[in-house]
Parts: sequence; structure tokens; C-alpha cells
Amino acid sequence: MRKFLIRRILLFVPVLLGTLTIAFSIIHLIPGDPVDIILGENALPADKDALRKALKLDLPLHRQYITFLSGLFKGDLGYSIYTKQPVIRTVMERYPATIELALASIIFSVLFSFPLGIVAAIYKDRWPDHITRFFSLTGLCMPNFFLAPILIIIFSIELGLLPVSGTGGIQNIILPSITLGFGMSSILTRMIRSSLYEVLNDDYIRGAKAKGVDNFSILLKHALPNALIPVITILAMQFGSLLAGSIITETIFSWPGIGRLVIQSIYARDYPLLQGCLIFISLSYQFINLILDLLYAFIDPRIRYEKGVL
Amino acid sequence: MKIPMILLPILLCLIFTPSCSQPSIPDGYVIVALESNPSSLDPRIATDASSQKIIRLIFNGLVKLDENMRPAPDLAIRWEKINDLAFLFHLRKGVKFHNGKELTSEDVKFTFKSILNPSLSSPHRGSYQYIKSIEERGRYAVIFRLKKPYSPFLTTMTMPIIPADYNDKENPPPGTGPFKFVRWIQDEWIELKANDGFFDGEVRIKGVIFRIIPDDTSRFLELQKGNIHLILNAIEPEVLPLVNKRSRLFNIMTRPGTNYSYLGFNLHDPILRDRRVREAIARGIDRDTIIKEILKGFAYPAKGILPPMHWAHEGDVEVYTYNPVRARKLLDEAGFFDPDGPGPKKRFRLLYKTSQNKLRRRIAEVIQAQLAQIGIDVEIRSYEWGTFYSDIKSGNFQIYSLTWVGVTDPDIYYYIFHSSSTPPNGANRGGYRNPEVDSLLERGRVEGDEKRRKEIYSKIQKIIVKDLPYISLYHSVNIAVVKKGLVGFILYPDESLISLRYASFNRE
Repeated sequence: MRKFLIRRILLFVPVLLGTLTIAFSIIHLIPGDPVDIILGENALPADKDALRKALKLDLPLHRQYITFLSGLFKGDLGYSIYTKQPVIRTVMERYPATIELALASIIFSVLFSFPLGIVAAIYKDRWPDHITRFFSLTGLCMPNFFLAPILIIIFSIELGLLPVSGTGGIQNIILPSITLGFGMSSILTRMIRSSLYEVLNDDYIRGAKAKGVDNFSILLKHALPNALIPVITILAMQFGSLLAGSIITETIFSWPGIGRLVIQSIYARDYPLLQGCLIFISLSYQFINLILDLLYAFIDPRIRYEKGVL
Repeated sequence: MKIPMILLPILLCLIFTPSCSQPSIPDGYVIVALESNPSSLDPRIATDASSQKIIRLIFNGLVKLDENMRPAPDLAIRWEKINDLAFLFHLRKGVKFHNGKELTSEDVKFTFKSILNPSLSSPHRGSYQYIKSIEERGRYAVIFRLKKPYSPFLTTMTMPIIPADYNDKENPPPGTGPFKFVRWIQDEWIELKANDGFFDGEVRIKGVIFRIIPDDTSRFLELQKGNIHLILNAIEPEVLPLVNKRSRLFNIMTRPGTNYSYLGFNLHDPILRDRRVREAIARGIDRDTIIKEILKGFAYPAKGILPPMHWAHEGDVEVYTYNPVRARKLLDEAGFFDPDGPGPKKRFRLLYKTSQNKLRRRIAEVIQAQLAQIGIDVEIRSYEWGTFYSDIKSGNFQIYSLTWVGVTDPDIYYYIFHSSSTPPNGANRGGYRNPEVDSLLERGRVEGDEKRRKEIYSKIQKIIVKDLPYISLYHSVNIAVVKKGLVGFILYPDESLISLRYASFNRE
């Protein structure tokens, strides 16, 4: 187990370095001189030089890279050009809202997909299965920018039950988390259905049935835990992508998350801020992946001992 | 499975504990919807429209511009022009900042000194380069000395004044305006409270809450639900008929605005160098159709950069009315014959560059179709802003479309059309060159008398329309949707919300 842990954590380093390098190169990949684009054409040459210096663009490329990395390890991501605030502070202010929404969406999709997936697996190819299939397909096909206004019109405008947008209490998070969670739960429902159906036809389930174990216990104790591995993978991947923020959902619901910050920094051509957002997003994604791999090893002991699983 | 079950309620509580609560909106507060989070509420740093809307409620400048863009007294009760190079401002006495400190000449000096200080990296620094020195004359008078005569000087004195002791990295500076800053939850809302000690009369509402709602649909739905009292220009023309249907809830106010949209030509281009070709294009574009169909009537045809309400506006200029027959004739005269008449072959092809803005792309498509009628093949290229802007600046275009916003002084013509203003020195991107215009622009910049300045700029406007380096498309119309019950709000041409200080709630 320890060997597995060390290998997994060591692998984290090159991936991390790769993402940081990509984040670093953004400012060099944009067309035109970034300083000109940021300051506009009536900027004074002295101000352009000052910004070039502040962004360390006057140094040779390798020195820029080293300064960037060393700044990063000190927790210094520079200053936003647009708001003149430290990037790290701006990102940290928005990130809790994104985590909050991601967790709520995951909880919604789990609560929605587990019962549906289990029912669909038990009644495969009968009418409950067809109904869940209809829900899944609807969820998969419906884009957020379409679903969100419909939810708002029904629940906020017509029924007057929930607020249209903004943050505040539980009532504010319901509609955005349904919007984000609905599509995810469709995938999960299908995943649970197929994985559970496969397990339910295994020999050991037949054995349990022969032993006289009641159906409920077979489902919850024997079948479901074994059907969970692919489900957890999907869940974790979706959680990772939720942590990158959802630009559309956050915009529609005026949710102050990282997705909106990314879009704002692109529109404002605020490259240090964009860089900071990307670093944060990729770090959290990788962190989730790391946790997931460790969780696999915990759930399924075979993974720890097999060679080449990484 | 047991541990997660115990953890679940705790987790749920953690998630749903509001990280920050929405302001409970007390009576007497006006709620205004904004499209985007302001960049900063420090007037020395902010440049974006959202910030400007709020900043003008919190701060005052030495002067303000009236509806005709003429300087009027604000914090300075009067001013004297000592000579071409020196202006003396007399400050209003007894004006208090929101932190209780009295406004003095020291604050005025500090504000401009800090903008000119490179360490602040203020984007406004370039606009104050002509200032040589600022001297305090006692507590209530300031002298500005200039490096050379500069007539737009007074117009630039609208910069808000902040207190000299401001040194707070967390909060915006206090101002002297009708509303004071209370708090700002990033990307969510900003609260301002009425300033009881405002020097220019009583503020009748208790405060203003700006809610940041970036999505057009959500903003409209919030309005429909009655959660918003006022939306200014942040509503799409297409949804206004829907608002109109609920007109017992809202009033829609419109008023001509100042933003100017145009088509720019590259005058170095072998085809566009010929004035007849440019006139043919001007006569081949039906602006009324663009305004009616795409802008839903919320724009009006422009004659030049300065809007009709501007003191220096010249209305008596040549107007290129839509006339495809004349346009075709002009192109024939210029030697660009249509190879097959109404057939598919065109006289020549032009590249039309624009940004990715939805509205601009639609306008480009209409112009493309209209110019096809006179035998010009237009290819539209819409680019991400960075690429578009650097192409425009480096002269890498044939035709492009853009908008000038916030035009206050006619000296903008110097910046756009003087032969020395080619980028990076200015915005003469098309390479326009006319010695007569150059000398008039130089005179306009140093002429102190408004009447004589107006004469100079009238001439300039006439020549520019005749020379056609730009085709004027339209000026914007400002649209405000105001919830019934909120009275006293006046819509100004420059998108200012300052009339909120006169607004009040009418209880029925």
C-alpha cells in the first residue's frame, strides 16, 4: 500500500509541472503584444514598460519561467491587471461558491440517479426502465442554457417558490444545482443500471438467492457495493469538472463562482488572473484524481497489488 | 456505509450555510441591475461602464458636464482662466467627504498627483500629461499650470476627487457625492447609502443596491418578478415588447444617447483610396433598415462623432442618403465596372473586419447584402477582440466597424483624424491625411473661446463628412425600464444614474 501511495504521489509531480507550464505559456500564445492589448492604444510608453516589467515580460523566457514557478511556491500569483487586487485573493473569494455549487449538484445527482438506476436495473426492459431511459435521454440532450430558464420560469415566475438568481440560502442553490446535476444524473443512472444489472446476474448473487437471502439485502449488501467502482469513477470525474466552474449556469443564476471569473478575465484580457484561475482549476482536478485513485485502492484491494494499474 | 450516513447531515449543513447572505432590502432602497461586476470603485483606476455608473453616484469632480457637454460647476464653484497656461479653481466651502473630512485644495492636488504617479499605474494617466504643476492657493483654491495651451482641459476636470489621507487597500475611497459606499460582495451586489450631508440638497431615497446579473434572460426575469426597480441599457431591444405587455408594472423611458458607431476605411488601400468608391459604399448602405430591423428602432442615424446635443455638433453636413443607382454610377465612374450587370460576378471584393459581438456581426451581414446589390462582394471576418484590435491598430484591414463611447470634447477629432495621430500616437487607423484639417485641429486644441472653437470644429466636421474616412452609422438610444412607483428618475444622454438623487417612491 505504501509503495502504491508513493508511486501515485510521485506521478502527481510531472503532471503538475505540465499544467503549470501550459498556464505559464498562455500569455506568450496570445496574438499581438499582450501589453498593447491590455493597456490599449493610448497608453504611454512608460506605462507599457512598467507593465511589461510587472508581468516580467522583459526577462528572457527561461528566467520568466523560473520567476513564475518560484512565485507560485510562495503562494504569489501576481496582481490582477483589471482590479489591481492580488490574484490569489480574488480566486479564493470565488472558489467557495463553486465548491458549494459542485457539492450540491453532486448530492442532487446522487439522490436522483441511485433510485432510478436501481429500479431500471431490477426491471430491465420493462416499463420502469423505459421511463428512466426517457429521463436520462432528456437530461443528456437538454443543454443548461435551455433547462435553466425553463426552471426559473416554472419555479420562480409562475409558482413563485424559488428566487430567480443570486446567492443567499438553501432556496438559492436549488435551481442551479438541478440545472447542473440533471445532465450528470442521466449519465449516472445509465451507469448504475448497466453495472448493477451485470452484477445481479453473477454467480454469487445466484448463490445468495439460493441461500434464501432476501432481495433487499442482496441488492444493498452484495450487489450494489460491487457495482459501485465504475459509478465512483464517473462521479469523481464529474465532480472534478464541476470544480472548474460552470460558465453558463453561473452566469444564468448570477452565481459568483470561478467559471464567471474565468470568463471575466478573458473579456478583460486580464492574463495574470486567467493564469491564476487555470492553475487553481487544474490543481483541484488533479487533487480529486489523486484522492480517487487512493479511494480505489481502499475500496478494491486488488488494485493495490496489481502491477501496471497506473 | 454508516459513517457517510452520519456525515451527510453535517455535510448538508456545511454546504447550505449561506456563505454570504443577500441584503435584506429595507424600504426606500432602489435596486438597480448591472450587467457586470465593476472593476474597481477607485475612480483613478476604473474605466469600465459598470464602475462609472456607480462612481458617479459616490464622487464629484471639480466640474461636471451639462447635457450639452459643457463644463458646469461641481466641487469648484467657479474658475478663472489666468492665461492660456493657468487655470484657477475656487472650491465650494464646507463640502464634507463621507468620512467626515472637509474637502480642501490638498485633496484636489493629491488626486491628480496620484494619477500622474506611475506607481499607481492609472489608465487615466495619459489624459493628464499636459499638466505641468498643481499649486494650492490657501485651503479653497487650486491653480493648474499646463505645459502648453490645451482647450479640452476643463472637460478633463470631471475626474472625481478623493481625500488626500486615503490609504485603504480594502475599501474604495470615500467621495463627496449623494451616496456613500457601504459594502461590496464581489460579483453579487454593491450597497450604497444616501449621504445625509450631501452639499447639493437632500437625497430622497434611502440608498441604492446594485445587483450584478450577467445573463440577459435572468435580468429580464428578475425584472418581471418585480425584484428590480431600474435597468438602464442592460436590456435587449428584442425583449422590450414583452416588458411593454406588462406596462402596468413598468415605465419604459428612451432618450437619444451619445455612443457613435461607424465604418472605418483603410485609405492606403488601392480601391478605397478613391473617394468615389467610399461615397458609393455610403450610398449603398441603407442605415434606416439597419436601425429599424436590427436595432429595433433603438438608435438614430449619425452625422458625425459628436451627438446632436453636443455644443460643438454641426448638423449642416452632407448626408449620403441610400441611393443604389447613384452608388453604381459612382463605381462605374471610378473605373470599377460590373462585369456581368446583375449577374453573380462582382466589381471587386472587400474584407470587412469586426469583433465577435452578436449585434455587430448581424449589422455586417446586412451591409454585406446591401453592398452586393451595388456589385461589391464583401467578405466578413469576425475576430476575437485581441486579434481584431491589433489588426485595426496595425492598419491590417480594408473596412472595419467599431463604436466610440464617452465622447465629451470635440478634441477627439485630433485623436482620430490628425495626420500625426497614427497608432500608437492616436487612433488615425485608416491613414487619413488632410493638411487643412490638421491645421484646424491644431487651432481647435489651443483656442480658448467657445464660439470660435465651435466654428473651427464645424468646419472640421464638414470636411470629414466630405472626405469620408468614416461612414457614420448610428448613435445609440438609451433605454431605461423603471418600476412603477419609482418617480423622479431622469434619463440622461450619457447613461448617468445621477438623477437617482432626485428619485423617490410614490406610495399609492
